[in-house]
Amino acid sequence: MDTAVLRAEVRAQLAQIGQADIVIGIPSYNSARTIGHVVRAVQAGLAKYFPEHKAVIVNADGGSTDGTMDVVRQSSVEDYKPIMLRERVEPIAKLAFPYSGIPGKGSAFRAVFEIARTLDAKACAVVDSDLRSITPEWIELLVKPVLEGGFDYVSPLYHRHKFDGTITNSIVYPLTRALYGKRVRQPIGGDFGFSGKLAQFYLSQDVWQSDVARFGIDIWMTTTALANDFKVAQSFLGAKIHDAKDPGADLSDMLYQVVSATFDLMERYPNVWMPIHGSEPVPTFGFEYTVGLEHINVDTSRMLHVFREASRNLGDMWLEILGNGDLREVERLASSDDESFRFPPGLWTRVIYDYAIAFHRQKMSAAHLIRSLVPLYIGKTASFVIEAQDMDQAEAEAEIEKLCKEFENEKDYLTTHWRQP
Amino acid sequence: MSDFYQSGIVTTLHQLGQPSLERLEAELFTFSKTRPIALVLPALYSEFEGPAMPGIVRELSKVRYLKEIVLTLDQASEQQLKQVREFMSSIPTEVRIVHNNGRRISEIYETLARNGLEVGPPGKGRSAWLAYGYVLAREQSDVIALHDCDIVTYGREMLARLCYPVASPALDYVFCKGYYSRVSNKMNGRVTRLLVTPLVRSLRQLVGQHGFLVFLDGFRYPLSGEFCMTTDVARMNRIPSDWGLEVGSLAEVYRNYSPRRVCQSDIAANYDHKHQALSADDAAKGLMKMTVDICKSVFRTLASDGVVFSEGLFKSLMASYLRQAEDTLIKYEADAHINGLEFDRHEEAKAVEAFGKAIALAAQAYTENPMGSPPIPNWNRVKAAIPDIFEMLKAAVDADAR
Amino acid sequence: MTEFVEMMFVPLQELFEQFKAFLPGLFAMLVILVVGILLAKLIELILTKSLTAMKFDGWSDRMGVTTLMRKGDMWGKPSAVVGTVVFWLLTIVTLMGGMSALNVDAIDQLVAQFFGYLPRILSAVIVMVIGYVLTGFVSRAVLIATANRGFHYAKLLAEAVRFLLAVLIFAMVMEQLQIAPSIVLAAFSIVFGGIVAALAIAFGVGGIDAAKRVIERETMEKRAEEQKDEIEHL
Repeated sequence: MDTAVLRAEVRAQLAQIGQADIVIGIPSYNSARTIGHVVRAVQAGLAKYFPEHKAVIVNADGGSTDGTMDVVRQSSVEDYKPIMLRERVEPIAKLAFPYSGIPGKGSAFRAVFEIARTLDAKACAVVDSDLRSITPEWIELLVKPVLEGGFDYVSPLYHRHKFDGTITNSIVYPLTRALYGKRVRQPIGGDFGFSGKLAQFYLSQDVWQSDVARFGIDIWMTTTALANDFKVAQSFLGAKIHDAKDPGADLSDMLYQVVSATFDLMERYPNVWMPIHGSEPVPTFGFEYTVGLEHINVDTSRMLHVFREASRNLGDMWLEILGNGDLREVERLASSDDESFRFPPGLWTRVIYDYAIAFHRQKMSAAHLIRSLVPLYIGKTASFVIEAQDMDQAEAEAEIEKLCKEFENEKDYLTTHWRQP
Repeated sequence: MSDFYQSGIVTTLHQLGQPSLERLEAELFTFSKTRPIALVLPALYSEFEGPAMPGIVRELSKVRYLKEIVLTLDQASEQQLKQVREFMSSIPTEVRIVHNNGRRISEIYETLARNGLEVGPPGKGRSAWLAYGYVLAREQSDVIALHDCDIVTYGREMLARLCYPVASPALDYVFCKGYYSRVSNKMNGRVTRLLVTPLVRSLRQLVGQHGFLVFLDGFRYPLSGEFCMTTDVARMNRIPSDWGLEVGSLAEVYRNYSPRRVCQSDIAANYDHKHQALSADDAAKGLMKMTVDICKSVFRTLASDGVVFSEGLFKSLMASYLRQAEDTLIKYEADAHINGLEFDRHEEAKAVEAFGKAIALAAQAYTENPMGSPPIPNWNRVKAAIPDIFEMLKAAVDADAR
Repeated sequence: MTEFVEMMFVPLQELFEQFKAFLPGLFAMLVILVVGILLAKLIELILTKSLTAMKFDGWSDRMGVTTLMRKGDMWGKPSAVVGTVVFWLLTIVTLMGGMSALNVDAIDQLVAQFFGYLPRILSAVIVMVIGYVLTGFVSRAVLIATANRGFHYAKLLAEAVRFLLAVLIFAMVMEQLQIAPSIVLAAFSIVFGGIVAALAIAFGVGGIDAAKRVIERETMEKRAEEQKDEIEHL
């Protein structure tokens, strides 16, 4: 394996460090405002919970122009006293450099894996650079199961508003769970812990010139770990609050990236997911607690408007993908009024499975295919918002659980159709 | 969408509002635990290469409440049978294929013939009948549904609405016929519109309120190929082996059950068969044979119930039919106008003329041979003649499956 | 008497001589035809097989070529259709080649013209196929993009785009085939310009208010949406 992805000066620094137990990666792009906080939280976490271990913080930057890397170099916890009793034994090294390769989070992660391998790290973690709610405990929760519990992969569990993370809740979580039989609640969480062994396995995969390098690295990591029988756990990290998202981010781009990455992985592991029935929970760490729900204002009538107009216009395309019976159900849905609007979980399940099958059969260009899912997704989301309006967190979660069961029950439909030429 | 008028003595189940398929299927799933449902699909191999079958298979693969699907396949070689089996494999329901051209099933037909059981020439009637026999032999299902395999606009909802009245323990129906309008840019379904209904109405004028005529007139689409029944009905009914299949089946139902236990269900908002690649000449020939068979079937059923067909009656019938048909034609012209449909008055009038001829031919055939070719015997009778027939049939289909 | 016989015989002999000269040509033509058609059949077979192996059918499903065929009531496999088309093309070429073996001037000229024209037909066909695929792709992209924003007339717009592109491609094909090029150019300019002008006038004169309202509403909705929609999808 070549380490050509790392620059000479980085390699020199690595040679100086020699070996490390823990590598924490922070991919970044124009996050000068927030990354200082993240770096300090990571440092504090390492100092507090892993004082005996040699640790390295790696910031792989995508060519920021706002001085993100300078912030990283300057940020440090001046005084460890308030957060810990003992003096830290091992120093924490910091590396900040622009990664090379195809621009994207995937390439940044690749650099982190590369460093983990060079330093022969036992445990690693990656955290987003725009996190506002990260605490030193996150590092413990992500790293400790690997270091001491023998797990290879730790995915996050967040406390989120019931209406947030709808792509995860209505597509990625149910689908991943039904496919691979493990209840990993946040497969695209963004903050993960993993073992050095798994990092090496990731590096050995031939995906770094593909779309995985640009987007979809989250689902790729989770799925790769699940499909190759690595030991997976999840840790409850608490709330996930990040910096105001990019206002230019388009929903249909987002959906395309996530869904196409998920479908692509189905192509890779059919022999793994086909025989699996049902699902089982994965070991969970951390202390779960609930916080109050602030009110989120969602304009469902506008969402339903989009859904209805689209169902008028995209009928022919949907017919090709969904078939006659389910298209009629969708049209029926479009004609129901706002209050009684309910997207039945069975129908939604078949919609996603039909899209997966259409993607598999390559009946049309992937971009067109998945973008035509957007209005259906908007309809489903609106339906969930209407349904869950007066629910508390647990009730809303029960709804998602119901959907997951539906995905598991209907999986036969997917498997039988997948095999058909 | 639809009105809620009950047109005759046969209960009409309309499509009112926008009933949810999700709910319908959930209920059917519950019903099917106590009354398992079998679906019989009569198909030609050529239909698997056509536009409709892929859609039908796709839709069926999403249906959860069926116990079994029996595909009764005609005009297929061994090689083609294999392809069909492959094609059907995406359906999670158990699919059994009755291969009518196969060595074993041919042997079954010969066994029947040897024992003096006339099962008629190959065709949809005979194939469907054998499929019923197979369902009866397996003793897995209590309800049998049947529909054609050339429906381009097929949706699962058709099947659900067809099965529901018979499968539901809350409703007491033993037989349910599907109805729908066949409209593209013009009105289709000419034989029903311009032959059957006017014929039945004129007969009602001439022979009075005969029970079967009233019954037949109660159906909105007596010639539709979609229906659902209990296995008891399948066991007792004799089936005509010719084009009189639909009318003949209704006659059998009429003979054995009270009209109260029969219903018709609105199964599809729109319906289309596609591209029957027949040349005009063939089409005319086929259509002629079909219409003559249908008329004969009506005459014979009535005769067997005591109606006397004299030459005079037939003459009046011709005149009465033409008048009825022309009146109907005018009604449909108006219907076409208000809905902005194409209406070729000349073509329709020509059809009426041809149908008139068909009635004359049927009358002639009836006078010459009032008995006609006997229908395929019912399964009770077959079982009495060859007690082991069910075992043989099961063995044949199972062996074909291997 | 002998004179008379000679008079009869000489033209006959001439005819026979001519026929004798003609005979090798005829024979050559027959041979060319038989070999050519056999060869064409062989090429068709190989082409169909290799297209199937290259998953050409799947590609044309994806690109909407299959749908086009189905609309034209062709129910064969796309690869088989391409095979058949190539077979007939080759057969025609063989026929032309065979006919030129007859060494008749008029036919030779015809054949030369045909072969001169052949590249144009070929490029026209290529333009047509690429154009069709592109038209479908672009109009679908327009359809999805507009429909996803809840635009009421998405389908209409997509159809309009498809139509405009089709007009453009039709003109290009005609240009390739050099069928009345000047008229095609003029007609194209008139039609295309006319459509654009009509749209401009429709929007400019008839629809100032309407357009204003649409734009205002859209921007207002946008603003409102940005404020209201606080859901995080990821």
